[in-house]
Amino acid sequence: MKRVVVTGLGAISPFGPGVKAYWEGVRSGTCAIRPVTLIETDGFRCRIAAEVPDPVPGSPRRARADRLALAAAREAIDDAGLGAAERKRAALIVGAVGGGMLEAEAWYWHARRSGVAPRAVHALRSILPYSHADVVGSRLGLGGPRETLVTACSSGAASLAVAADLVADGVVPVALAGGADALTRICFMGFNALRLLDPDPCRPFDLARRGMSIGEGAGFVVLEDAAHARARGARVYAELAGSGTTTDAFHVTSPHPDGEGMARAMATALVRARVAPKSVGYVNAHGTATLQNDRIEARALRAVFGDGAVLVSSTKSMIGHTMAAAGSLEAVATILALVHETVPPTANLTTPDPDVAFDCVPAIARETAVECAISNSFGFGGQNVTLLFRRS
Amino acid sequence: MTPRVVITGVGAVTAGVTGGAAAVHAFLSEPRPALGCMADSALAARLLDGEARRLSRVCQFAVTAGRLAVDDAGLTAGDDVDLVLGTEFGDLRSTVEFADGYLASGPPGLSALIFPNTVMNTMAAATTIAVGAKGSSLTLNAPTVAGELAIVRATAAIAGGRASAVLAGGVDQIDPFLVSMLEELGAGGERQGEGAVVLVLETEAAARERGARRLGEIMGSASGALAARPHGVGRSVRSSVVADALAAAGVGARDLGVVYVSASGDRARDAWETGLLTAALGVDHERRSALRHLIGAHAGAGALGVVAAAEAARASGRPSLVHGVARGGSQVALVVGP
Amino acid sequence: MEPKEVLDELRTIFVTRLRFEPHRVADVTLDTPLPKGVDGSIGLDSLDFIELSLAVEDRFGIVMDDAQDLAPHFATFQTLCHFIAERATTT
Repeated sequence: MKRVVVTGLGAISPFGPGVKAYWEGVRSGTCAIRPVTLIETDGFRCRIAAEVPDPVPGSPRRARADRLALAAAREAIDDAGLGAAERKRAALIVGAVGGGMLEAEAWYWHARRSGVAPRAVHALRSILPYSHADVVGSRLGLGGPRETLVTACSSGAASLAVAADLVADGVVPVALAGGADALTRICFMGFNALRLLDPDPCRPFDLARRGMSIGEGAGFVVLEDAAHARARGARVYAELAGSGTTTDAFHVTSPHPDGEGMARAMATALVRARVAPKSVGYVNAHGTATLQNDRIEARALRAVFGDGAVLVSSTKSMIGHTMAAAGSLEAVATILALVHETVPPTANLTTPDPDVAFDCVPAIARETAVECAISNSFGFGGQNVTLLFRRS
Repeated sequence: MTPRVVITGVGAVTAGVTGGAAAVHAFLSEPRPALGCMADSALAARLLDGEARRLSRVCQFAVTAGRLAVDDAGLTAGDDVDLVLGTEFGDLRSTVEFADGYLASGPPGLSALIFPNTVMNTMAAATTIAVGAKGSSLTLNAPTVAGELAIVRATAAIAGGRASAVLAGGVDQIDPFLVSMLEELGAGGERQGEGAVVLVLETEAAARERGARRLGEIMGSASGALAARPHGVGRSVRSSVVADALAAAGVGARDLGVVYVSASGDRARDAWETGLLTAALGVDHERRSALRHLIGAHAGAGALGVVAAAEAARASGRPSLVHGVARGGSQVALVVGP
Repeated sequence: MEPKEVLDELRTIFVTRLRFEPHRVADVTLDTPLPKGVDGSIGLDSLDFIELSLAVEDRFGIVMDDAQDLAPHFATFQTLCHFIAERATTT
């Protein structure tokens, strides 16, 4: 089993293009959740989201989610300094959910409302989630194994876990992994209908929290065999030391009330990384700010780490729930927390829920060096992924 | 020692065959074309009381195939049983239905029951709940080769010591709206099919220990991506994927018996595949359709091809090769033994 | 609106929104419990209840207050019919 390290980072987020803008935004505790502009929101209780600001790089003829994926993927590959030969062998694992649905919806809405029978358009080609992988793979010349994973809200994290396995197993020396999602009507309306959205910016771990905020973006990382990275003099951000992927198999939308699957994902990551719970100093939580998730996640954290033993914060307080991008964008934040010895805060947190037995780093980032940090992504209906990073 | 990976069960829900290994064997012995949609009445009969109400049609395929596979293998699912399902189109029908509810009546027309089906992992989620599989569950989305890729992913999890058993396969549903749109976009030639086929893969040691019946072995596999525009067919036939799969299996091209291909009537892609295999294998091998000409193109057909390959290997005493290539460049190869 | 009229409307909602077979819904009485896990219940889970709330809002014009505990009103067809009959703003 080979050691897997992170040698490149890429992001495009509600703070704009680039890892730098992303980290600056997250570290400063700035909330990027604002009134929606991309889709109509009349009649919905929640009318805000964290959109990637204009201009989004790339050709307007390309689906928005493909453009987001390409921007972040390109930054990560360039950051890692991978040449053509290395790219040809590199695997590409992409987490995706909405695909090109935003553009397909626009077409369908127009067709239905105008009463004219819909004629197929170019945009429909990009509708399915696998579109990002084929666009990124062909534009960047990536010739290794190529897969698109759809595991709802944990897709971005699952992509890193699977890519890390490919590198650890020795199948490929390098892999590009990450997730992308653009705001879609289906997602926004659906969560509104389920009453899971807060009309105001979400407040993870707050006593008064009322639900999620939706976001969009893309985050990619380059994962590499440590020996391969050393041989080519690559800069190493951190080690991806282990992961755990579990399923609640409980209910299609509700998590298991005891957080059993969540705890098992974290425990598995610790075992695989051979890390004791006390070596983990920071948890980047799934932290969606629904009443249920935060309570159950806190319960699971308690079971694994004990009361108060780790710092916990939710990046979703600032960028919303970026769906398929969440797991990978939040992994980037977790990696940078290790590198910069700074734990990003939870924004909008004024009255911590006493049921949550952890310091959730309200408002202000905490300067502290930690040995290991984990990032949790607990997808809708019990698709749980925990990634464990160790400082290099 | 890397654990060896064996197939201990199969569940199929398709227009041509519905059942476990025995039914699949009977179908493969006398294959006949079975295209078109499946009768919904056949499905409802196999679901538990009240289940049909809450499962969309494509989820019903997956749940039924998953249960058939688990029963066929005599497996008890638990914390260490994974699931990997491949799909090309997911539950697009539910997405359209969800959108139509809103377009007809505004926000009150949105359905909370349909919403979870708008994310493509809904079939996997329903199947894990139905069979109690609590390890990792993944949904792979790819054109053409999603079923084959799921089996490669599952094999890697077992060989890497991360799972002792994995349910792996593919599921897709014919959607008339989608089919008409694809035809307008020029995706002519390929006949869509529908259904779900799920295999149970385990370590050989675990299978032997519980006295499970062995249908075949995944001796080696590999995947990669060839240069091609999205939805396009590539120009080059140079690839190491087949060679990598053979090397992983410890088998030479001359040792192979039958080669199963992913040909389905998409002439340009089928021609590309022929070129790739000729370049990789050099010597003529008996080429058989991976059943897509019989049961249509869908992710389940890829998984069924692996079962067919195992049967052929048993019959001939020589390992089979299962090959697939998709528009956009995804390529996969598996060496399947008896 | 009378509770019996409401019951007929609910039967329709149970078929069109909750996807029950018509014969199953024809069998229910005012005493039939709604939530899963209760003897003789029609077997609704949390997601079904969300769907039912949306449909009741849409059909009867009742806005559900999230802060209120609505569980007692959704215990049986009887309690739900009374809840709706008292508050319906559209007939």
